[in-house]
Amino acid sequence: MAGVQVGKRIIGADAPVIVGWENIPRVQGGPIKQFVFTWFQPAMLFAAIAFWYYAPNWLAVASTAIAIRLGWTVLLLALEWVNPRHASWQLTWKEGVTDAFYVGLGMTFIGMVDSYIGDGVIIKAVQGAFDWEKFGWFTGLPLLVQAVLISMIFDFGQYWMHRAMHNWHPLWLTHAPHHYITQLNVQKGAVGNPIELFLIGLGIGGLFDFLPRAFLLAGAIGMTVGAYQHINVRFNTPRWWRFIFNTTEHHSVHHSQDYEATRSNYSGTWIIWDRMFGTCVDGEAEVLGMEGGRRMHIGETMVFPFREGWRDSKAWLAKRFGTHPVASPPQAGLEPAE
Amino acid sequence: MNESAGPWGAAASAPARALRGFAIPYIDMIWRVRGEVPVDASLSPEEAFARLDPLLRTPGTTLRVEGGALTYAKHNPAAQDKLATFTRGRLWIEPAGAGAVLRFDLFSHALLLCFLAPLLFLGFAQLAVSLNAYEAAAAKAEASQKDKKKDEDKPKPVKKLNPIDEFLGAPAPEDPSKKKKDKKDDEDEGRHSPEPGYFLAGLFAALYLLGRWLEPWLARRRFRAALAEPVDSAAS
Repeated sequence: MAGVQVGKRIIGADAPVIVGWENIPRVQGGPIKQFVFTWFQPAMLFAAIAFWYYAPNWLAVASTAIAIRLGWTVLLLALEWVNPRHASWQLTWKEGVTDAFYVGLGMTFIGMVDSYIGDGVIIKAVQGAFDWEKFGWFTGLPLLVQAVLISMIFDFGQYWMHRAMHNWHPLWLTHAPHHYITQLNVQKGAVGNPIELFLIGLGIGGLFDFLPRAFLLAGAIGMTVGAYQHINVRFNTPRWWRFIFNTTEHHSVHHSQDYEATRSNYSGTWIIWDRMFGTCVDGEAEVLGMEGGRRMHIGETMVFPFREGWRDSKAWLAKRFGTHPVASPPQAGLEPAE
Repeated sequence: MNESAGPWGAAASAPARALRGFAIPYIDMIWRVRGEVPVDASLSPEEAFARLDPLLRTPGTTLRVEGGALTYAKHNPAAQDKLATFTRGRLWIEPAGAGAVLRFDLFSHALLLCFLAPLLFLGFAQLAVSLNAYEAAAAKAEASQKDKKKDEDKPKPVKKLNPIDEFLGAPAPEDPSKKKKDKKDDEDEGRHSPEPGYFLAGLFAALYLLGRWLEPWLARRRFRAALAEPVDSAAS
């Protein structure tokens, strides 16, 4: 495969990746279907913003957000059914149940751990060390500006955490299981080792004083933009949208089996971070995964960072001190995607 | 069995009937699926298995035909493997009335784990309840030793909306001191909520029931479709 030069890199030399927007397929079907799948994404974003902007205080609470998220998930699953992007990404019962397991783990166990050592606790600990009152004026900004700031600050953190995961071996070991997914579906963002899910959830947005409603608005932006990272739905994504926001197209490139392509599109919501830092590759890919598309089951996902970390540490010690023979040969295809 | 009429006679008398491993009556229905689909009476067992071959011969699958029965085992099948849910299986052909049927006995790790998943999430819910109880007891002990710190000494200022938002009609933020009063009622509930655990236990029970019905139905449909498809001699 020849690949396509993007900046200084060759994308698509190892596995098929469509680079650029010109050859991305469009939604097939009648005018109503075309209309729905062209305007769905912006319409939902504006609807969510309008709802959280005007919802009375008794309704603008976290439990409403949870209920909406549940309904939103069901709606997106229905869209996958109606207008799939690729037949090879179709959600099966087994895939659906597996994804639900990871979501469940996030809602229960990881949530519990997070409440002790997560960003909330860290922020509380460091808040006393500085005079954060200086940022008090943030709450006086227009709500939407606050919401966009929260969303962009959080995504900025995610961008660098994600990029670090692709560039530093110990972090890569936690993130690698997520790259073994071979298709994108609504809940695939939750698939991965719990350590990674904990790390990627860390945000610095909570450091600053924003209005609660601004946090809910930021959550709505994240929900109605970030949700399309992992989804098997074909949209005619508007040009302005795909310039500012992350899309399924971008994220499929990030998940492709092509090594260079995985080193792109790190942001969760705002693809402009990638554009600014030179890691954006516009395009899409269908063939996803690692090691030629080997599926990683739940058991291996749970132990992977520890098992590989142990192997690598032993190999490093043997190389450094030369006293112990290397117990196992280095695993092919487990190098960080860099 | 002495039925020797038709092409099935010889094969039908020999094959081992079921999958090796656990065979617990009724209970093993949780993870095992048994059933049958009709087979064209003119097909020999070899021809029938040849028709099933494309369905079964997928990456990570080992196949064996022995004693008139086809046994397969899948090691971590691909997401789109048509039989991914059933990681082991045995298929054989039996005469039935004037014709014959393909009988199958399939084993599913996924169904078993999905059946057990509610227990895990009930466990997490119970963990949440236990942690809350432990933390409440610890907080009580601490409170009896020290005088309770008063949070109220520093009343939080009421935040104001930006004039643009006021103009556009967004509801004003609540008075934080007023909010605290309502919050006191929630304090007894503790840091962790067991509710997601209960919800997920219910969800996985529902998903299990869906899978136990859907997956055998799909397997039967796929076997039937594969058996109806003549083998492409060029491909075989």
